[in-house]
Amino acid sequence: MYQATNISFRIRDKVILDDVNLTLQPAMFTAIVGPNGAGKSTLLKTLAYEHQHFQGDVVINGKPVQKYSPKELSMVRAVLPQNSQVQFAFSVEQIILLGRHAHRTTKAENEKVVNDVMTLTGITSFRERSYHTLSGGEKQRVQLARVLAQVWEETLYPRYILLDEPTSSLDIAQQQLIFSLARQVCERNIGVMAIVHDLNQAVQFADQLYFMRDGKIMAAGEAQSVFTKANIEETFCCRVNVYHDPCNNCPFIIPEREELTVTKNKIRLTIN
Amino acid sequence: MIILGLSVCLVATVLFSLSVGAVSTPVKDVAVILLHKLGLFSSVESDSMHEVVMNNIRIPRILMTLLIGSSLGISGAALQGLFRNPLVEPSLIGVSGGSAAGVVMVIVFGASWGFATDGLLYNSLLPIVAFGGGLIATFLVLKLSNQMGRTNIAVLVLVGVAINALAGAVIGLAIFYADENQLRTFTFWTLGDLGGASWEKLIIAVPLLIFSSAALLLFSPALNALALGEAEAYHMGVDVERSKRIIIFLSALGVGVSVSLAGMIGFVGLVIPHLVRVLFNADNRLVLPASILGGSWLLIMADIVARTVVSPAELPIGVVTALIGAPFFIGLLMKAKLKNEL
Repeated sequence: MYQATNISFRIRDKVILDDVNLTLQPAMFTAIVGPNGAGKSTLLKTLAYEHQHFQGDVVINGKPVQKYSPKELSMVRAVLPQNSQVQFAFSVEQIILLGRHAHRTTKAENEKVVNDVMTLTGITSFRERSYHTLSGGEKQRVQLARVLAQVWEETLYPRYILLDEPTSSLDIAQQQLIFSLARQVCERNIGVMAIVHDLNQAVQFADQLYFMRDGKIMAAGEAQSVFTKANIEETFCCRVNVYHDPCNNCPFIIPEREELTVTKNKIRLTIN
Repeated sequence: MIILGLSVCLVATVLFSLSVGAVSTPVKDVAVILLHKLGLFSSVESDSMHEVVMNNIRIPRILMTLLIGSSLGISGAALQGLFRNPLVEPSLIGVSGGSAAGVVMVIVFGASWGFATDGLLYNSLLPIVAFGGGLIATFLVLKLSNQMGRTNIAVLVLVGVAINALAGAVIGLAIFYADENQLRTFTFWTLGDLGGASWEKLIIAVPLLIFSSAALLLFSPALNALALGEAEAYHMGVDVERSKRIIIFLSALGVGVSVSLAGMIGFVGLVIPHLVRVLFNADNRLVLPASILGGSWLLIMADIVARTVVSPAELPIGVVTALIGAPFFIGLLMKAKLKNEL
């Protein structure tokens, strides 16, 4: 289990995370949704122990995150940040091999892992290509493959991957592809957490759903049961209607068109 | 394969370089003298004048050129990788400027501060001062460009420019107090001068240069991970802050000692890593060792030109590296631009 208890994080006096509790289960897809600036990315960075000055506890597989060395930590959790830029002209294969950086495995073993993740993500055909020449969707799949290579091998302990908006700026087919891959990865006893912007996709793919706003968890639980009109409106300050999609057997929302209210220095939807 | 090819190329260049100069020695004799020194073929007699020139002038000089070239090459490659910026070179982040300022202070004020101005102590003092100056300057640049635990590259470049200007001012101030003789030494020195090689100077410098280059090689995998970004490298298990500090320390050591031996030699640290990346690939496990070989190769070639075109006088080495390097580099850039590889 990947457990965060009473996490608070502030930069000077500004509270970014306010007493957040969150649990990631192995072999489960957990989605975090919430408006821009809700603290979702900060929460992810705190879980990844990239932000180290927080209050509260982060415990991975029973061991506090502070007790892990960077190397040990990389064996239990991998992270896909929002936009990774690659400065020099690395090939696709080289990028994915970087995921094996901390592993003490042989070249042949690494080769096998790279082949496996490339096959899963469907990028085998551009193994030798320069990363710079790829399209946005292809780049994202290469990065996902790198993240997977890091925690691919079956181990006695569960592993986790944290994805920060893995589908931003991708077309819908690529978005569905990435989320389907993430779901499939769960079967390897990997717990997946993703920050998701599209609520319909979140409820379609996630097992657990967390609603976040202003650094707080507004609602959390089994995805379909917390996906209610009240929770969504409360979190996003936007009027929505929830319907049922018989095809996917899952709820979906359509936001309502509203009049804008312009006050002194704010423009917002009338719901407030 | 690539490394092997470059090594062969380098050895050939070294032999050729040993043979040319004011007293020219056939390559065959060079080989004989070298083998002789290694205790082989002791029966073969060689011309004693050639041997003296070899022993006292040429071998130390070439050895020094070799090591300086490799240090500048690998430091450039490591710093470019660390800062994820292909424009970074040792002079940009203040290493060269800081080292130079330190050395100039010692050259000009050394005597009045009571240091001996010759001998082993003085010769070992210069590398240490150069290293210290370089380290202080780099550390300052790094500290000032730190933004919430991360290095802001835009700030880094600007602060680097400022620190270089400051080092330039210190050097200028020293020149103001310098006498005629010191001024001459100094002018030669800012353009780079490999002429001052002696076994005495090399005793301290050789182990330091070899150490810094060899230790930097160990960081090639970490530098690969850093190419994706500091956060990403951390996620993949690299102790980023520690690696960063050590890489900067080792680069400052290599460049600082080089500066103390031969003055400021630009361009090697900037061009060579690029050359390797464009010609082969960007994997630092290749770029770093290849930059060692490429750096020493370029500097030895430049030294051959510097020693021969106006023989028996010499051109400043910095002029030659830029003269050879700049057009070549521009050509490569244009080619890479066409292939959209930058």
